[in-house]
Amino acid sequence: MLKESQIMKIHYMTGIAALFVVAVHILMRLVMPYNLSLEYDNVILNYHNLPYAVLLESILVLIAIHGFNGLRIILLEMRQSRGWEGFVTVVTIAAMMGVIAYGTRTIIVANGLSLG
Amino acid sequence: MEVADRNNREGLKGWLNPGRYGWERVSYWLQRLTGVGLLAYFVGHVYETSSLTQGIDAWNAMLELTQTPLGHLILLLVIGMSTFHSANGIRLIFAEGGKGLGKPGRPDYPYDAVSLNYRQKSGIWIALILAAVAMLYGASVLFGGE
Repeated sequence: MLKESQIMKIHYMTGIAALFVVAVHILMRLVMPYNLSLEYDNVILNYHNLPYAVLLESILVLIAIHGFNGLRIILLEMRQSRGWEGFVTVVTIAAMMGVIAYGTRTIIVANGLSLG
Repeated sequence: MEVADRNNREGLKGWLNPGRYGWERVSYWLQRLTGVGLLAYFVGHVYETSSLTQGIDAWNAMLELTQTPLGHLILLLVIGMSTFHSANGIRLIFAEGGKGLGKPGRPDYPYDAVSLNYRQKSGIWIALILAAVAMLYGASVLFGGE
């Protein structure tokens, strides 16, 4: 079981790392006119680029960890009891894993479209 | 005093009350509100992009839903929230590391807390100004034609 101080270090590190990868993700929308960057072919091309797909996966994991841990902290600030803490921890970890799994599926399938 | 007699928990009401503690409380409040807002957007964005896997028609249908003036306004809000959350988050990391905090001293009237000095307070203002600038730039991209 991690200590809260260790969890906060992870929270800060994922937050700072997310800043950099999200900046690259946003820049990819600005290297060409915004509307053009959202066209299906251009977006699929992004997903076919392996380094960019890895970047998307890292954004997914970093923000899911940072976001759901932030939600856990907020919920624990509102109410404190052993049962509530356990419940909030289990629900936020399950939600985090669910979002990561769903997003990873999108990245894998969209990346795999190039093979077809 | 019996522990059971103490009922000083205000719950959500206490969390949302920015009135008693000045700008630091507003910053605390905004950090949490923007965090929850960004998490909601993140989950929505993961769902939105999953339409890619269903082909071009599903993707275009999703774009028709999101690339509207209302969708752009929501994106603008997300830009502002993410900029504030990032800049204020960096300030909080410095604060937790003791950077920018004053040295402890004897409490003299009017009891200004040395920990909440101009460096920390200006950090809050810088985060708000950066958020406004990012939103202006975002508006120029989203509503500026191309």
